[in-house]
Amino acid sequence: MAFTPKTAHFNGHINAVTLGTGDKATVIGGQNVMPFYTFDAAVEHAPKIGIEISDLAGSWTAPGIVDFYAGCTTMAQRAVRAESMPGADFLALHFESADPNGANRSVEDCVADAKAVAEAVSMPIVIMGCKNMEKDGELFSKIAEALQGKNILVMSAKNEDYKTVGASVALAYGQKVGAETADDINLAKQLNIMLKGLSIAPENIVMNIGTAAVGYGYEYVASTLDRVRLAALAQSDADLQMPIIAPVSPDTWGVKESTASEEDEPAWGCQEERAIEMEVSTAAANLTGGADAVIMRHPAAVATIKKFITELV
Amino acid sequence: MALKGLDIFKLSPKKNCKECGSPTCMAFCMKVAQGAVEISKCPYFSDDAKAMLNEQTAPPMKTITVGEHKLGGETVLYRHEKTLVNKNLFAVAVGTSLSAEEADKKLAELQKVDYERIGERMHVECVFVANTQNDPAVYAALVEKAAKVGRTLILECWDVECAKAALAVAGTNVILDGATPANWEAMNAVATEAKVALGVHADSISDLYDTVKNLEAKGNKNLVLDVTAATAKETLKNAVLVRRTALKDGDRSFGYPSIVNVARIAKGDDRLQTAYASMFVERYGSIIVMENMTYAQALPLYGLRQNIFTDPQKPMKVESKIYPLNGADENSPCVLTVDFALTYFLVSGELERSNVPVNLIITDASGMSVLTAWAAGKFSSSTVKKTIEELDVENKIKNRTLIIPGKVAVMKGEIQEKLPGWNVVVGTLEAVQIPKYMKDKEYEGAAAAAAAENAAKAASGVKEEVKELSFDELLATKVPAIEVVDMGVKYKGHNPESQTFVTIGERIHCISPAIRKAMDERDPAPILKRAAEQIAAGATYLDVNIGPAEKDGPERMMWAVKLLQENFNNVPLALDTANKKAIEAGIKVYNRTNGKPIVNSADAGSRISYIDLAAANDAICIALCSADGIAKDNDERMKHCHNMLERGMSLGMTSDDLWFDPLFLVVKGMQDKQMDVLNAIKLFADEGLKSTGGLSNNSNGAPKTVRPIMDSALVAMCMMQGLTSAIVNPCDLRLMETIKSCDIFKNHVLYSDSYLDL
Repeated sequence: MAFTPKTAHFNGHINAVTLGTGDKATVIGGQNVMPFYTFDAAVEHAPKIGIEISDLAGSWTAPGIVDFYAGCTTMAQRAVRAESMPGADFLALHFESADPNGANRSVEDCVADAKAVAEAVSMPIVIMGCKNMEKDGELFSKIAEALQGKNILVMSAKNEDYKTVGASVALAYGQKVGAETADDINLAKQLNIMLKGLSIAPENIVMNIGTAAVGYGYEYVASTLDRVRLAALAQSDADLQMPIIAPVSPDTWGVKESTASEEDEPAWGCQEERAIEMEVSTAAANLTGGADAVIMRHPAAVATIKKFITELV
Repeated sequence: MALKGLDIFKLSPKKNCKECGSPTCMAFCMKVAQGAVEISKCPYFSDDAKAMLNEQTAPPMKTITVGEHKLGGETVLYRHEKTLVNKNLFAVAVGTSLSAEEADKKLAELQKVDYERIGERMHVECVFVANTQNDPAVYAALVEKAAKVGRTLILECWDVECAKAALAVAGTNVILDGATPANWEAMNAVATEAKVALGVHADSISDLYDTVKNLEAKGNKNLVLDVTAATAKETLKNAVLVRRTALKDGDRSFGYPSIVNVARIAKGDDRLQTAYASMFVERYGSIIVMENMTYAQALPLYGLRQNIFTDPQKPMKVESKIYPLNGADENSPCVLTVDFALTYFLVSGELERSNVPVNLIITDASGMSVLTAWAAGKFSSSTVKKTIEELDVENKIKNRTLIIPGKVAVMKGEIQEKLPGWNVVVGTLEAVQIPKYMKDKEYEGAAAAAAAENAAKAASGVKEEVKELSFDELLATKVPAIEVVDMGVKYKGHNPESQTFVTIGERIHCISPAIRKAMDERDPAPILKRAAEQIAAGATYLDVNIGPAEKDGPERMMWAVKLLQENFNNVPLALDTANKKAIEAGIKVYNRTNGKPIVNSADAGSRISYIDLAAANDAICIALCSADGIAKDNDERMKHCHNMLERGMSLGMTSDDLWFDPLFLVVKGMQDKQMDVLNAIKLFADEGLKSTGGLSNNSNGAPKTVRPIMDSALVAMCMMQGLTSAIVNPCDLRLMETIKSCDIFKNHVLYSDSYLDL
């Protein structure tokens, strides 16, 4: 009796969302199979990689990152350099320093940075905030306004502020909006429903369903990814068919495995290599679970994940 | 995996003839499933049924044991569906293509990664030994060397003579990864002779399938499938198809663990191997073979594996111990909280943000959050004392400041009493307030005050009275007289024989701050107010939760029982506390006119003796069908049910006095388990058993406007399944009207146009 494998492709499919404009515009989402299950159906749009460029990037010390950005002093310079990074599909500008409990940089300065980047690069732009909801609200609105026509993605609207963020980013300025929840599939669905309720088209919504570095409660992320993808495909749940973007690097570069020096952990070996492997493993796990795009930092980790994606699609 | 009791039950004669010695067919089948009795004890099971049973109840994926490791045995494709059972293993590859020095170096290297992470040893469990030269002596020499490392050996060897030579020196902790479509017959003989598991490899998945079929026909089911192909893409395809075919399509010929050799598909690229290995941890690699395992690779991979193979059905617990944070030493203050993982991560994270050196002491609270554990008696002054003793804190730490969660400020006095050498301080209500609290050193003043108070107490030399009073003495001296107040509501009575649905009002509960305060101060007004509301709304019973009440439980409960029954025409009560003496005391003063008291509650684990308490006091007992955590399926629920039923009946209870609680689960989070709960109720009802439970738990976290709708829909479905009672909020009008309507349809109450008003 010969073995004939059963295929499992679905009628439901993930929305294909275009970011950016022109030649470098990129599409995330679009498939109707579980991640990398090319034997069930062809995967039209491979997952994408975004390069994290923080306004605190000057303090990053990993030698591979320092070398790569040698000579860059501004966010725009770094962004231009990042465009040349093999594997890069888009740029993720991370305005960490806007945090009122941190450097408290002004919104005007951040907007100026974003504009300078937008003028200097042609890749799609994703905006990440400082996690202070009030400041982010203002920052997101002003950047979305300043970069009108660039078709950027702004991360993210949350349960608490989706009305203001959604209305300004997506409705007033026509950008894509991220819907951010933390490992809660019910809330992820609800937030999409509420964003749609504001008359935002589903094709303008991308989800961040929660992140963690591997080893740090990643099981919640893994199961949320599995469940969201199965609901979107097997149940054709249109409120969960938005593509998923996973900001990997902000988590992986903050855990002990990446931050402990060799003096502190002599058995562990090279600190930079640990940080790279942490980023690689977390990104690969996210992509395996259903992330349609990952945001990463180190050129070596990006190169590895680019190879990973190319080999599997 | 054991046979499924419920599957057996489906095929049973369902005569309940008791000839087998069990009270019901269901009870018999549960015992068969547990291996407690032979199926042949039943004279009526047909041979066909028995044969079908063997076929139907064989697990979809075999568990293969190699040395101390178990592989496979999975029942689901995704961890959220139930749980993944056996974590994948990691192997490092050596081969005869390496020089002796290179091989020695690799074998030494792979042993360097060996550490503990959250109670689990992290190391390379297997050595993968590849045979590339087909020289038996050369291969055997390498295998012998590898065997000395003491890990499980995976011998990749397609040559029969080499395999024989290798097995002669390899020991038994071995998988012979050697069968192919060309050599399977000879290799099968070698593996069978050596009694080792046989790995099967083929160039195509269809050849792999045929080879497995051939081996199975020869009687060998001790197999592992090496699904490695030329590319990562093909290898993923094989791994997924093999697992999916076994678990989803039920074809057991692919129901074996897998070997995935990422060293081969990403040769020379450690980072890419990490990426692939991460994928195969999530997607169906049972043994993942790497070229190397450096710490840089191990730290993420073992962390990921530990996460993925965590049982989602178990509360996430961290170990009870002292966690020194921010460079704390013996002179740093102590912060205490429970072992619920999310609590731990939140509290330790905030403490770290404060940068103040502290010793975080985690106490065992069965993985519950602070207030839940407190209400269940799992977090009390006794458990805190026990933790301080068991962890030997007093010898390890000199500082005597102990900061407790603000949510259990009420425990401060009791803890202080049990730990006289300590200065107990009440910390913040919420974790986010911790950094400021610690930085501002607010606790120092409070600790000084506590110390002064302790000193004053010691100086005055007054010892608290320790003589234990009898219930009668307590009643006479410690229970205030009850004043009957006209609340404008009269309990209209309850006939214990009635078949109508029994609602147990849940609103008198110590988790509510107002009730907690009223109980502490013996202030009748807030308690009577809530009782009156519930009675007016039509509650049959009232639940009385007095909290853990470690110190003054008996007098507290006697007061509450008398207060409620004397004010409301002997309304029947469910007595709810972790203090058993308090329940006993409550029953002493309880009036049975409108029904027996209910003991809330026993479970099949640490609270099983509540059944004894109920039996000794002729009370009804709520019997929660779980032991430690949520039952994983209805087999387990029914196992607990029968354990408790047998215990109760052996103590002279009637089955009517045990009300089984399936444990209602929250939809937001456990949506896919709701039908299990409903089916459990049907199983209780089929055996003529009564049931109850905290039904409104289903809608926890849902909007206030939605909860009554969900609760009403669920209660209707539950009543259809045979639920006889529920612990509910009777002030939910929609719910109460639904229950009354269902009682009409169930023909428990004769219809009249005004049935809702009755």
